[in-house]
Amino acid sequence: MMSGARGRSRQASKPIPGQAALGRFIASREGVLLVTLLVLGVAIDLGSHGALWYRANVTSFLVDFAITAIPATGMTIVILTGGIDVSTGSMLGLIAALGGKLLAAGWGLAVAVPAFLLLGALFGLVNAVIIIEGAVPPIVATLGTLSIYRMLVFIVLGSAWLTDIPPILTRIFVTTRLGPLPVATLLALAVMAGFAIFLRFFRAGRHIYALGNNEEAARLAGLDVLRIKRASYVLIGIFTGLAALLNLGESPLVQTSTGSGFVLTVIAAVVLGGTELSGGRGTILGTLFGTLIVQLVQDGVVLLHIQPFWSGVLLGLIILVSVGLSHAWHRPAEAA
Amino acid sequence: MGGIGIDRSRLLLLIVFLGAALGGYAFIDLQILAAGNLTSMAVFAVEVGILALGQTFVICGGDGGVDLSVGAIAALSQVLLGLVLKDRLAWELGVLAALCAGAVMGLANGLAYAVLRIPSIIVTLATMFAFYGLALVFTGGINIDLTASPPAFLAIGQGSVIGLPFQVLLIYLPVFLACAYLQLFTAFGRGLYLTGTNDLAARLAGIGVNRIRCLTFVIAGVLAALAGVVSAARLGTARPDASETGNLLSIAIVVLGGADIFGGDGSVVGSVLATMVIAVVDYGLSYNNFNPIYQAGVIGVILITSVMAQNLVRFRARQRS
Repeated sequence: MMSGARGRSRQASKPIPGQAALGRFIASREGVLLVTLLVLGVAIDLGSHGALWYRANVTSFLVDFAITAIPATGMTIVILTGGIDVSTGSMLGLIAALGGKLLAAGWGLAVAVPAFLLLGALFGLVNAVIIIEGAVPPIVATLGTLSIYRMLVFIVLGSAWLTDIPPILTRIFVTTRLGPLPVATLLALAVMAGFAIFLRFFRAGRHIYALGNNEEAARLAGLDVLRIKRASYVLIGIFTGLAALLNLGESPLVQTSTGSGFVLTVIAAVVLGGTELSGGRGTILGTLFGTLIVQLVQDGVVLLHIQPFWSGVLLGLIILVSVGLSHAWHRPAEAA
Repeated sequence: MGGIGIDRSRLLLLIVFLGAALGGYAFIDLQILAAGNLTSMAVFAVEVGILALGQTFVICGGDGGVDLSVGAIAALSQVLLGLVLKDRLAWELGVLAALCAGAVMGLANGLAYAVLRIPSIIVTLATMFAFYGLALVFTGGINIDLTASPPAFLAIGQGSVIGLPFQVLLIYLPVFLACAYLQLFTAFGRGLYLTGTNDLAARLAGIGVNRIRCLTFVIAGVLAALAGVVSAARLGTARPDASETGNLLSIAIVVLGGADIFGGDGSVVGSVLATMVIAVVDYGLSYNNFNPIYQAGVIGVILITSVMAQNLVRFRARQRS
């Protein structure tokens, strides 16, 4: 509601169409992020004497990006509806463990790939049922399943590592390229583009914003609020399944700690991208930039030979400064 | 709200949980009720219990208030303490440094929330990364060995007073009483309750809503640092990755203790009872040689079912009226 009003007032005062659009973009959240991204990129490029562009580094950067970006797209939608899912990391570990067992037992991709996605949908549905039918607040419910899924990883794996994952996943997702991009990255970009269009131009996509802005109003306007919520949790589950598949392509190994801490990176990327945790405001484009920044920080710390321990400090600072700036930016408009 | 700030059905539920857990384990092996085992449970409960007390205030403050950085604050404070001890300075100085650092970190959280107006879950997510990162930077990722520290310091986590563990009698109990007093008998406690239930009304009543919420983060910071000190003394090491599950576990305890994650309801007494439930469940599992990872899973189940049970009770009550 507020963002709509602000958008209109800006449109009313535009002088020259092209220039104004450019100015608006630079002043927007996405513009700030793009500038941050460019500055970071140039700094790391100079600091690393070009090591940023070595083929091995570019590939690992692009695949890491894909693994975070796909669940981050789902997380954006969940947060847009006013929810949150903190179980993503454990879920990724559990799907990787179960799916990895399937692959290790010799099942082909025709079985394994649907299995990964279905498992994701199933675990997402479990979250949704607890949240909707059980009326448990999303953060509490997924905090609970976070530990339950982690326990199940342990039950599935025992204390052994799962190492006999066939190399076919690596061949398909990481080493096969279409143009300059690995398949994993193309997949991530396709998912993001698809959902950016869906959120922007499709009626159901607009309903997600309506729900996040004012649930009661959305309900009164006749939206099936519960169905939208349920779908968003199932969706992030499916995306987590896909990320688990790509993760096995990048490193064909599952251990009981696989995916722990991952959800915080995903949420950091989404929040950095400007999606507000109260719901109703945020874009996939923002999440794209947020994910790139998070990955670039982690990559840059390695390339610049900084102690890797600084990456957490930097990430924390970037989140605070970026979100703090954007709040300071928006405050006058919100007060009006 | 009863006289001790917790509603009766929740009190009953927690006591039933506690009885069932203890009874269940006693059924398997009566030996678990031996004094030695009960004190071991208490020792485990102290550290996470102190984290949970701080978390209680933050969650009670409402506006989605939650502190994800308590584990990281415990770790960074513990590391600072370790550095002081390694330089052979007075251990009292180290403890003081750790507690002050906890207060400063809590204040940083509080100011970022109150002044920059960033939602607390984002603030503390960011500072969690930052504090754990700093702890790693300061130590180079290596644990600091404290086993050669002055015995007076190690006694904080290993000593005993009149047959009870030092930290239970002389740290946890006083901290619990102070927190209960703060919540039930002070203007801060009443202001916090009003802030959590209806912050607009609180603001109109002249309560400094932002100042109160900021203060809850400082309290959580100091208590987290205290938990860090106790665990460093108990284990004889300062670890940059200490209390990794502390944030989630403390939130789980507070919710199990009857707090509404959206603020207002929630009590120090409830959190203490919930800590006891978690401690018994956890100790029993490790006593019966289950891998510690089952503890996390069981706590997850307890967390979800307790909220569902609460919903069911409320639903029944509404139907009756």
